[in-house]
Amino acid sequence: MTLFDIPRLFEYTFFRNAIIGGAITALVCSWVGLFLILRKEAMMADGVAHTAFGGIALGLFLGIDPFLTAMIVSILAVLGISYMKKLGLASSDAATAVMLAVGFAGGLIVISLADGFNIELFSYLFGSILTIDQQDLETVTTLAVIAVVFLGVFYKELLSMTFDDQAARLVGIPVTTLSIGFNILVAVTIVISIKVVGIILVVALIVLPGLSALQLGLSFRGTTVAAVLFGMSSAFLGMILSAIYDVATSGVIVFTMAGIFIFVAAYRRME
Amino acid sequence: MRSKELVVRKATFDIEAGDFVGIVGPNGGGKTTLIHAILGILPIKRGSIRLFGKDISRFRQWERVAYVSQEAINFDTQFPLTVKEMVGLGRVRRGNLGRPLRKEDWAAVDSALEAMELTRLANRRIGNLSGGQKQRVFVAKALVRDPDLMILDEPVAGVDATTMERFYERISVLNQDRNITILLVSHDLMAVFCRMSKAMCVSRDVHFAKVAPDLDPNDLLRKGYGDHFHFVFHEHSCGVEQRH
Repeated sequence: MTLFDIPRLFEYTFFRNAIIGGAITALVCSWVGLFLILRKEAMMADGVAHTAFGGIALGLFLGIDPFLTAMIVSILAVLGISYMKKLGLASSDAATAVMLAVGFAGGLIVISLADGFNIELFSYLFGSILTIDQQDLETVTTLAVIAVVFLGVFYKELLSMTFDDQAARLVGIPVTTLSIGFNILVAVTIVISIKVVGIILVVALIVLPGLSALQLGLSFRGTTVAAVLFGMSSAFLGMILSAIYDVATSGVIVFTMAGIFIFVAAYRRME
Repeated sequence: MRSKELVVRKATFDIEAGDFVGIVGPNGGGKTTLIHAILGILPIKRGSIRLFGKDISRFRQWERVAYVSQEAINFDTQFPLTVKEMVGLGRVRRGNLGRPLRKEDWAAVDSALEAMELTRLANRRIGNLSGGQKQRVFVAKALVRDPDLMILDEPVAGVDATTMERFYERISVLNQDRNITILLVSHDLMAVFCRMSKAMCVSRDVHFAKVAPDLDPNDLLRKGYGDHFHFVFHEHSCGVEQRH
């Protein structure tokens, strides 16, 4: 395939679905990811994604929608992390590590109990954006709308508690409730991203756009817009490049994001 | 109380509207603990604390109280916030949960920036400010809430003498012109006895006195710092009109 064949790709429904699904997912991931980075909880994305692996394996084993089980297990994982932190049992990163290990180990046990879905699991581990169908697109869009509404409505409260949660509590912001809401949103975001880049690489989709935007030294509003633009353009560019070079889409999306990060960081340091 | 350990034992005092109270005392004496108790962050074992006449367990008008913590200035300098955005966070409260800030909120932000001489720095990232500028930003964030009571915990720690002096001047103006009651924790004894109307020395027990010509600061300070303590204080060395 050459550069001139790219317009023809858009004639295919599967490619259009992939582009739309990828862009929507990147938008939500970048926005949620920026808050996660600033809350110093970026690795929670990786932990929850690996825990979702256990949920997916369970869904395949029980013969029910693996995304549903992944969603339930991921939400339980983020609530577990919050609860462990609140009780003082573990710090955020230690609690995340525990959930990651338990979730992934659970998945391995389920796999060993049942043979026959190894190939399906492979697509969840590494993503299968080109197989997004109309139903997937509707699910991704619905969840993304919920995420965008939550982030849009509680934007200033989330910013306030991310910067200083004690000060936010003092002025009456319901920090605990909003934190639980945000953590559930993280779980939902990760599960919808699994289709795009897979469990292993989902952390990149969450962290890299925000990290690139932070290099620019902009205001919070400017950083948010830059993170979303970096995320969406990486998803789009990654898909085009993977089609041209016929290589794994999820890998190219992550490489594009990493490339943007390196370019922005280098450019800022040369200024 | 600090976890379950008793930190402040006896504290009986009244602060009146418009007071400018300096809180001094040795490190670990319980100054921050006392403030946290006043703010309802830490529980008290016995007695009661009344804010604006109401017991803190029933006090709900927290928008009347602004607090700048000791740790506030130690934020992540990479945090992507401009001075204006940061001061705008001071307008975030329970009453406007889930609603964007309005025109009048941003007008209050502009006014607070002006009061703290930060207007020209409005679009600068907070991580790129000097120590003194950061402290003014936090006071502006507290001021933008239009509080009746402002509590500042060591707001000038680690800044040079000129910046510190200018800072106290600005705070005095807020106290006098806007009639904001101020509680300020400081190790700068000269500033406390020169500029403030009342002084509190916290060292497990709380000793409270009105700053007046007949008050010998050492009488108050020795109760907290010990009998060996001697503070050389001359009214004429204040360089500003002493408040009585």
